[in-house]
Amino acid sequence: MWAACRALFAAIMADRAAALLLFAAPLIYAGFYPSAYTGEVAVRAPVVVVDQDRSAASRNLVISVGAVQQTAIAASLPDVAHAESWMADGRAVAALVIPEGFGEDIARGEPGTVVLIGHGAYLLRASGALAGIGIALGQTGREAAREQARAAGPPAPPALALQSRPLFNTREGYGAAVFPGVAFVIIHQSLLLGLALLAGTARERMGRDMRLTRRQLAGIALAASLIGLLDVGWFVGMVFWWHDYPRAAAPLLDVAIAAILFVAATVAAALALASIFPTRERPLQLVLPISLPLFFLAGLSWPAEATPTVLVALARLFPTTSGLELMVGMNQMGGSLRDYWHDALNLGLLTLLFGIFATRRWTSGLEVERGG
Amino acid sequence: MTRPATFRASIAREWRFLVRNPWDMALLTWLPLLLCGAIAWQFSGGVIRDLPVLLIDQDNSAIGRDLAIRIEAAPGLTLAGRVPDLGTAETIIRAKQAQAALLVPPDTARRALQGQAPVILYFNASYPAAAAAVQREAGAIVEAANARLAAERIAAIAAPDSVRPPPVHAVTSIAWNAPASQELQLVSLLHPALLHLLFMLAVVSAFGRELRDGSIGEWTPGIAALAGKSMPYLAVFMGWGLLATFWLAGVRGWHFVGSFSLFVTGYAAMYLAYLGVAVLLTGATRTLSQSLSITGLYAGASFAFAGAIFPLEQASAFARVWASALPYTHFARLLVRTWIAEGSTMAVAGPLLAMLGIALVTVVPGVILYLRAARDPGSWGRR
Repeated sequence: MWAACRALFAAIMADRAAALLLFAAPLIYAGFYPSAYTGEVAVRAPVVVVDQDRSAASRNLVISVGAVQQTAIAASLPDVAHAESWMADGRAVAALVIPEGFGEDIARGEPGTVVLIGHGAYLLRASGALAGIGIALGQTGREAAREQARAAGPPAPPALALQSRPLFNTREGYGAAVFPGVAFVIIHQSLLLGLALLAGTARERMGRDMRLTRRQLAGIALAASLIGLLDVGWFVGMVFWWHDYPRAAAPLLDVAIAAILFVAATVAAALALASIFPTRERPLQLVLPISLPLFFLAGLSWPAEATPTVLVALARLFPTTSGLELMVGMNQMGGSLRDYWHDALNLGLLTLLFGIFATRRWTSGLEVERGG
Repeated sequence: MTRPATFRASIAREWRFLVRNPWDMALLTWLPLLLCGAIAWQFSGGVIRDLPVLLIDQDNSAIGRDLAIRIEAAPGLTLAGRVPDLGTAETIIRAKQAQAALLVPPDTARRALQGQAPVILYFNASYPAAAAAVQREAGAIVEAANARLAAERIAAIAAPDSVRPPPVHAVTSIAWNAPASQELQLVSLLHPALLHLLFMLAVVSAFGRELRDGSIGEWTPGIAALAGKSMPYLAVFMGWGLLATFWLAGVRGWHFVGSFSLFVTGYAAMYLAYLGVAVLLTGATRTLSQSLSITGLYAGASFAFAGAIFPLEQASAFARVWASALPYTHFARLLVRTWIAEGSTMAVAGPLLAMLGIALVTVVPGVILYLRAARDPGSWGRR
């Protein structure tokens, strides 16, 4: 077993492509991927303004919109058609239209109406911009209320005021919400691709019906698990800290057990998959493109509540689904194993399922499937 | 052989290979279907519904009961239960049994008479899509509750004139995507994100395989043969692009606002650009496994860098340069300006020219390097 364990490390060091996938990829992606999200929170979204009122009140509003952090005024335009064409060209993600009579309505004690248009193709950026305009409207509203109060007496504020407070990811950063999940897809794919590439290469050299003893298979699984645990340690201990992503103080023992379960299920799945491909390059061709669906199926960027039930169940066949939920829950939300016992159980069952499959394939010496 | 004959012979040769090799054919057939199908299926609900929300009613008043009914009635939310305090709620949210908790503090009913009584929404910010939906829905619920309470307060204590609507009123609409559907936004972009990666993997495999297996020796390609070899891939993946577009625009009803023909031209330009990069990679590395690994790095993370969801202007300088070197970034811009809205000629021409530019600057050195490798038996058979 130890010999097989050492042999795997030797094989990785002797194979540049395998070393790239198993050792270099987690290092490269740790710097590469988060660089897309360094801004974290969307600020200064380009907004166009159509001021058809040209009153003191409307000018005040435009100045406030220019001053809030979320928005930047890209242009002042004469009419709505111009505003729409600016948005259609991708030069603005939202528009503020102040119709004629806005200032007069406020002066009369009636509500002044403005029209906000968000870009339907940039929902996140548009909602950030609209929230920014909302803050500016609040400021203008307070000034307008003072104006109105002189004529009609102070108004009564609305009965309830909603305050929103984020739990766990308190910075509400975009990268901070996405990358702590993506990291585990990266670990999963690195192990899957690296091990399958090595297996394909070995099978090319030693014949398609090469077989291993159970001990040898266990040794390879142990070596691969060590690499996987190093990856988890690297991302959770170093990369998340370096990018200052939210980290919660989950019980260390629970995190360790969770990491072992995720890595075990991933290694078992990788060994099972590696038993199918008889050529070195085949896994790269077929397994690389599944990363994106794996990430979305894990439910971080699209809630499971809004995913068809059958698909939610099928997604549980991949270690990433339960792994992401478990690791994000512990690292970002500070949960314990007890909170995620079903994810832990899921990973345990996957380890068993893929483990049995891999053992049968690798130790029976069955002819592998046709291909080449 | 004449050039057209070489071209046709090369198409036939490639097709024969694909028919005999089911795993290579998989990249063109069931794998795109499976992956694009999974994405289409996952988002087929369109908008987020029935997110579980907890109510922490520490006031035990009519306001809490009213909010509970409104949570249950909101299409996006469902009442997951009532809990006594935030600690309990946090435990339940942590276990993902609920996405948020609405806290009605003690004394809310009395403070509401004076106005601005705080009601606090705690949401799980680690799950951003659900968090955004919960915040939107909760805002609407409190606004509706306020409208009702205003009427009650006029009856109770306040002078009739003092309860006025807020001085500034905003009418909000989402252009071209009135229900603010994530299906349109995400699926329209995720399908080409998958397809260009699959396309590039298939083309890199096709060209790299000839060098790996040394079969390039008997093939002895020229430019016409290279073009012929690319044709089955361009044709099949254009087909997948059209099918994915038909799913959203035809079946799901997200019709084209701008020009369909320019959008299809854009698809072709994107594939041509990735074809150029694929030939360049294969010609430069002369090793299939390396070319495939680099393809994963180059085309595998396009979705994150394209600026479609998170604005590129705020990303690092490296990310901005990297993004503009990806044909997909330009395609995502073109998609918004042809499908979702109708951009001006200039706004559409920009991304189209950028993709064709990438195609040109990669395919010329790519073909030179690849043909050089084809004449150098020493560079064949690398793994």
